[in-house]
Amino acid sequence: MLRALKRGRRMRRRGLVAGVALAGLALLVAACGPVSAGTADSVGTTPVSGGVATYATEPGLNVSYIFPFETGSNFNVSNTNEFQYLLYRPLYWFGEGTEPYLDPALSLASPPVYNGQQVTISLKNYRWSNGQPVTAQDVMFWINMQIADGNNDWGGQVAGDFPFDITDAHAVGSTEVTMTVTKAYSQDWFTDNELSQITPMPAAWDRTAAGASSCDTTPADCTAVYNYLASTAGSMSAWAKSPIWSIVDGPWRVQRTTSAGWVYLTYNNRYSGPAAAHHISEFVIVPFTTEEAEFNVLQDPQGNSRIDVGYLPTVDAPVPAPGSTNGGNPVTLGDYKLSVVYPWELSYAVYNYTDSTAGPIFRQLYFRQAFQSLVDQEGIIDGPMHGYGKPVIGPVASYPVTKYLSPQVEAAGDQWELNLSNAKSLLTAHGWSVVPNGVDTCVNAGTGPTQCGAGIKAGTALNLSMIYAAGVDYMYSATKELVSNASLVGIKITATEQPFDTVVGTVFGCTSACSTWQLAEWGSWTYSPDYLPTGEELFEPSSADDVGFYTNAHNDTLIGKTLDARSTAAFDSAMYAWQNYLANQLPVIYEPNAATLIESVNNLHIGVQAPTLNINPEDWYYLK
Amino acid sequence: MSAFLARRVLQAVAVVLLVTLIVFGLLRLGPGSDRAQLVGTGAAHSAFLLQYLSWLGQVLHGNLGFSTTPAEPVTTLLANALPRTLVLTGLSTLIALLVAIPAGIVQAVRRSTATDHAIRTLTYIWYGMPSFVLGYVLILIFALHLHWFGPEGPQDSGIGGVLTDWQDLTLPVLTLSLATIAIFARYMRSAAADSLDEEYVEAARARGAGERRVLLRHVLRNSLVPVVTLLGLSIPQILGGALIVESLFNFPGMGWQIWQAALNHNLPVVLGFTLVIGVGAAIGSLLADIGYALLDPRVRYQRA
Repeated sequence: MLRALKRGRRMRRRGLVAGVALAGLALLVAACGPVSAGTADSVGTTPVSGGVATYATEPGLNVSYIFPFETGSNFNVSNTNEFQYLLYRPLYWFGEGTEPYLDPALSLASPPVYNGQQVTISLKNYRWSNGQPVTAQDVMFWINMQIADGNNDWGGQVAGDFPFDITDAHAVGSTEVTMTVTKAYSQDWFTDNELSQITPMPAAWDRTAAGASSCDTTPADCTAVYNYLASTAGSMSAWAKSPIWSIVDGPWRVQRTTSAGWVYLTYNNRYSGPAAAHHISEFVIVPFTTEEAEFNVLQDPQGNSRIDVGYLPTVDAPVPAPGSTNGGNPVTLGDYKLSVVYPWELSYAVYNYTDSTAGPIFRQLYFRQAFQSLVDQEGIIDGPMHGYGKPVIGPVASYPVTKYLSPQVEAAGDQWELNLSNAKSLLTAHGWSVVPNGVDTCVNAGTGPTQCGAGIKAGTALNLSMIYAAGVDYMYSATKELVSNASLVGIKITATEQPFDTVVGTVFGCTSACSTWQLAEWGSWTYSPDYLPTGEELFEPSSADDVGFYTNAHNDTLIGKTLDARSTAAFDSAMYAWQNYLANQLPVIYEPNAATLIESVNNLHIGVQAPTLNINPEDWYYLK
Repeated sequence: MSAFLARRVLQAVAVVLLVTLIVFGLLRLGPGSDRAQLVGTGAAHSAFLLQYLSWLGQVLHGNLGFSTTPAEPVTTLLANALPRTLVLTGLSTLIALLVAIPAGIVQAVRRSTATDHAIRTLTYIWYGMPSFVLGYVLILIFALHLHWFGPEGPQDSGIGGVLTDWQDLTLPVLTLSLATIAIFARYMRSAAADSLDEEYVEAARARGAGERRVLLRHVLRNSLVPVVTLLGLSIPQILGGALIVESLFNFPGMGWQIWQAALNHNLPVVLGFTLVIGVGAAIGSLLADIGYALLDPRVRYQRA
């Protein structure tokens, strides 16, 4: 899942103009005296049941779609993680404490059993709110829909992957699904990246306007069913009373919605999953236009629209003390406590390896090493990220710390820290005439070890273009700094800020070799609903998400070994070997991962927030 | 008067048709899916005029297309956003008028006095401050410091709820009003000052009319002409919403919806909303002309 939308929540609409305006207001604010921190509620220690928790979504991202089988345009954190998963549980739940692992306790099925190329899924005893059990047929309903419509309408679809890597899937009775995979894949990979996509759908949804259908047994029927369901999924006002959408197997159901975009969820008393002894009874999802608007409301807890859980813009967060991961709250948020969550993601900018001019340059490892040396990850973290960031050091996120990260890569850390002289040396050593504050040119064309490299003609200038998503403060600052650093070694970058959708549209619009862009950055890639960072989605040329068309046969071989590993030890070994190799190949430009800063009122217990960004308000409770 | 009215109505109809033609032309340049959605796949390849008539027929039946995100008919989004915007911008315009008209007259009557200078200075400050700065100042002082009002707009979905939530409605309305007051007051002052120098005012005074009667019966009516014109011209803004204020106060209306739609390449919404605003502008212009004619009979005789 592209995560720039998530980033957008924090920074998207905080432009420089607003920043200047705020700075200009400093005197006025000072004249008014310090803003009151408000009176913090006295916080007890006794959990109580009931109560309402108001949850502010990512600014600009409203809950707008209820059908969990959704296209990319609706496939975002607000719709999926913060809404649909509360109503309709995915087959397998990911996010266990601070780690992005499978949580069997919250999954609808027991962990899959693998036997050769046979996979067996055994359902637990979950029930829909209409009293019907969650059955194997409900799982087949999803699988068949993905077979019929996955390539067109499922935002999590990876070409050639599930369900096109199975040859057979069928229900055995009402509680078991068996499938045969095309080859013996890694079990971890198949569970975490393939089965993780499934959300069982109730039989009541298997219909069209004309009446009942049979998508659960006949994939050919699924397109009509999909079209029917999709046609009603965006009508918020109809959700609460819809005979389709009111059937849930999760702990929440829609009580009502408002034209202002508020979504009121009430606890599903028929929820058959693990129920907490104490929990809130109502969960209200509230949209916000901008970070500023949300931050203003957070600072006014006595107002009409109190937020119980919301987001703190990074630029408003006090910088943590050295050695600390949490800098605490601004003084104006005395009623809240701050949780710092590092989403399970990878941030990077992309090279277009197929650009007719820049492509041959980007294909040179020495150039990528030089270019990475111009990125000041620590500076971005300490500066615009206010300390809430972690450097990206390879193709797997280094934080949250997981078993997936290669110990060797972790130990090596950021090997390409800001080093202008290194960049200059690398370019000079490979046939470039380096002209600081000018434009470098290739003066020694050829493929030798001291020459510019294959496809680069003599006289070629290091004159590059870059597009990046607008509205993200630290992305803006980081790009400006990159442009400045590059100019110091004679690489001229013309960076253009564009709306997120324009950047993504341009980059993903190239389905084959193209020269419409050279460098691009939109934010990050979140590992969801493919939770295992095995790299086939981002760094294999067969994937639609390898948007820069990075091609490396050895990389492909190493990824293949990972996906084919049949034991945990073999998997870990293969995955580490792949990372150890690819980390220094720098297939993309590593940029730091940013934290999500969550504010919650002091008397509301929300537990630990998962890096998968899945939330569990059914476990939240007030203290008195 | 009837001939004048007929002429203006016909002109307004022509403008509305031109607006629909422009909007349709833009829509036709958009992605094929948007085009086919509005004019139908069968008509997608037919002649421009036939496509236009087909689309116009659907528009007249209330079909402005379907939004991609959120997946709702454009008319549904319009039905949600337009009333909220009308409350915000309409109320702020009304308040601006109620303040600016007397203020302008007072300035004109007390020309070049301390009162005139004080009002002018104050309104210039309001006018000169961008709405996001003014809004922030008001939020910081009145919401976060004094806790008199809320820092965001009303969140109730019904118009009644929005109107009665005065605590949350005050600051966004005030932000828009303050800037508008300056504009209206300036026009009002200028027009009233001119009227006060007219011979008919002297004549009224000579006939023994009291100052109050002179101002209300003679000066006010004649000074309202430019304000009415200005009001008519502001109809598109009233319908189009106030993006900055809507976003600052978390009060999504027309402006915010169009902005989001533009960012997301949601062409049906952009064009549907543009159509409504364009039609509103034409109607606003017509109403301004009618008001102008009512206030100044010379206009209808000259133009008819």
